[in-house]
Amino acid sequence: MTTYLVRRLLALIPVMAVVVTTVFFIIHLIPGDPVSVMLGPDATTSQIEETRKAMGLDRPLYEQLVLFYTRILKGDLGRSYFLDRPVTTALWERAEPTIVLTLTSLFVAVAIGVPSGIIAAAYPGSAWDRVLMLGALLGVCIPGFWLSLNFIYLFAVRLGWLPAAGYASVLENPWAALRYMVLPAVSLGFNQSALIARISRSCMLEVLQQDYIRTARAKGLSQRVVVYIHAFRNALVPVVAVIGITMAILIGGAVVTEIVFNIPGLGRLIISAILRRDYPVVQGVVLVTAAAYVLINLAVDLVYGFIDPRIRYD
Amino acid sequence: MGHRTLLRTILATLATIALVVVGAAVDADAQKKGGVVRVGNLGEPPTLDAHWTTASITETLTNHIYEGLYTLDDDNKPMPMLAESLPAVSRDGLTYTFKLRRGIKFHNGKEMTSDDVVASLKRWSQQSIYGKDLFGYVTDLRAADKYTIEMKLKEKVAIVTINLGVANNFAAIYPKEIAEKFKPQDKVTEYVGTGPFKLVEWKPDRYIRMARFDDYKPRSEKPSGYGGAKIAYVDQIDWIPVPDVATRVAQMETGELDFADDLNADAFDRLQKSATARPIIAKMYYWLVAVLNKKEGLMTNQKLRQAWQAALDMEPIMKNVAGGRSEFYRMDYNLIHREIASWHVTMSGLPWNEHNKEKAKKLLQEGGYKGEPIRFMTTQEYKWMYDFALLTKQQLEDAGFTIDLQVVDWATLVKRRNNPKEYDAFTTGIGPQYDPTNSNVLSCSWPGWTCDEEIQRIKTEMIRETDYKKRFALWEQMHKVFYEKVPVIRYGDLFGLRAASKKLKGFNEKTERIRFYNVSIE
Repeated sequence: MTTYLVRRLLALIPVMAVVVTTVFFIIHLIPGDPVSVMLGPDATTSQIEETRKAMGLDRPLYEQLVLFYTRILKGDLGRSYFLDRPVTTALWERAEPTIVLTLTSLFVAVAIGVPSGIIAAAYPGSAWDRVLMLGALLGVCIPGFWLSLNFIYLFAVRLGWLPAAGYASVLENPWAALRYMVLPAVSLGFNQSALIARISRSCMLEVLQQDYIRTARAKGLSQRVVVYIHAFRNALVPVVAVIGITMAILIGGAVVTEIVFNIPGLGRLIISAILRRDYPVVQGVVLVTAAAYVLINLAVDLVYGFIDPRIRYD
Repeated sequence: MGHRTLLRTILATLATIALVVVGAAVDADAQKKGGVVRVGNLGEPPTLDAHWTTASITETLTNHIYEGLYTLDDDNKPMPMLAESLPAVSRDGLTYTFKLRRGIKFHNGKEMTSDDVVASLKRWSQQSIYGKDLFGYVTDLRAADKYTIEMKLKEKVAIVTINLGVANNFAAIYPKEIAEKFKPQDKVTEYVGTGPFKLVEWKPDRYIRMARFDDYKPRSEKPSGYGGAKIAYVDQIDWIPVPDVATRVAQMETGELDFADDLNADAFDRLQKSATARPIIAKMYYWLVAVLNKKEGLMTNQKLRQAWQAALDMEPIMKNVAGGRSEFYRMDYNLIHREIASWHVTMSGLPWNEHNKEKAKKLLQEGGYKGEPIRFMTTQEYKWMYDFALLTKQQLEDAGFTIDLQVVDWATLVKRRNNPKEYDAFTTGIGPQYDPTNSNVLSCSWPGWTCDEEIQRIKTEMIRETDYKKRFALWEQMHKVFYEKVPVIRYGDLFGLRAASKKLKGFNEKTERIRFYNVSIE
């Protein structure tokens, strides 16, 4: 187990190196430069050239790459051109909103998805099954931003139950934080619950058709015990895999939600950073997100072992 | 009733009337202190260093924190701000003497003196476009005494107070220590000014928080434009970046914001029906232009530029860009916004908005055009730019042009437009210019490069000429030359949409940029 963990963690290094280098080139190869954006529309051509020079952006790309790597090895992600602060500080400030949003949406997605899948599978072909799967189909089809805007219009503008947009820190003001988080978490989570529901249903159906379930039924066990005690655990492995993927998707999907609900998280940071070519910030966000992705995958693999003792790590 | 009683009654009545009148007068004047204004804007400023960038968001924010020697009044003419009065000019016009107001404090408690002004103006002269323009004529700037500054010029020019007074990329006065600590090409990161509000906290993507500066000394004149008495009624301004425009509108309706800028015209009806907010049409916004590359490529050909101009029917384009609403656009050929009345010309017979396909075709032929594709850059980040580019392409192709419309993001566009090899034309908007000599479409150092000799000659004469009437005659001449040489294609004026909470009082709707001094919350 420990060897497995160490091996997996070491494998992280080349993955991250590839990610870092790719990002560096992609962002530098898209046309546009931060200086022209920063100096504003009325800036003169000579003023832009002078400032580029002062910022070291006129240096050759390989020189900038070497500088970038030497910095990273020292744990320094550079300084944002726009935000007047180190990238690590900027990332740290945005981490909390994104983590909170991802976890609450995941909670919503699982809370809706898993039970719907199980109920649909327990009574296949029933009206429940059809209604739930229609819901899941809608969840997959409706674009997230459209759902978000309608939620805002209905629950904030019309009914006035919840604020339209904004963010409060959980640590400072939990009640306000909850109020701000309901709409984004539900609109982001609803989309993802659909996938979880469909996977849970098909896994459950597969398990329910196996011999040991028939045996359990033959022993006269109730539907509830059969479904929740005997079948559920065995249907869970693929579902956990999907939940892991969902979490990774949520980090990415948070981009749109963070813009619409004005949540100051990593998704919003990277969008604005790309638009204004804030290279250090883009590199920093991608680096951190990629690391999170890889670590979530690792965590999912480890969770399998707990659910299904037959899975061994050697 | 005895005499005394009568007298007493009359006196009492008079006293009551007097009290009521005085009371009412006080009441009408009583804007309450206190409260927070939450302003929703587009995004983060690239910096809060006013000298550093021409970005409008920086302009809006920094004008609450800093002040310059001069600013613009309701008629967009220079008026004194930190200077006591307009400068004293020597008889030969070469020496300007500025007297400073006394007892003005910076947010750090230090008194502002001429040393701070000299250090700040020197820094400004090396980074700001207006500073560079002006200081091309300055030979010496020094502190004559604690409250007096002397500026010596190479030759007589007309642009001293206007360049010191424009609100964009402006001559903000910083404490000497800060002005000298940060090189002009490095952004200032310590924000200390003399303005009615001071910076409290900048949390990127969350808010920029400003609070009333209690030691602020307002001027005695009435508020006018960006100047006169500036009083901070509200305790605090929170500038909240809300990048999504639909979210900004929704937050105005729920009362989560007290003010929102840069909304889309299609939100106008919704805001008119709102119980909490009201719409404001921002009258000076942009006039739209297609800037033509006069350094390299096809558009160096004057006939082609004239053909472009002759082909267009601008009203349908403008109407479309304004979402079909006539409140949001105006047809005008003036090279400075009509609101800046002192530069408004009325001329007839200029070849603007001709919609003459035949003339265009003839000009193309004369220009030897063989249908080569013309690279026209635009961006979808600003919907109005994309809309007018698309409609232009259609109309031009009807007249025989081949247009290669290149849709890129804003960062790409502003980078590419500096390289004469990469494009033939691009879209942009021109905000208010307060003096003809500040116009970027007439500048040889701005993208598109209007280096035409005749245009530059008139411009130089306008810089040197100090008599307004003669300057105005030159300005009329400039219009004639402009429409003959066609350095850029001028479309109509587009207006913006803002929204203010119904509780907000005293907001000046006439200025181009939003200001929250003299504004209170009911």
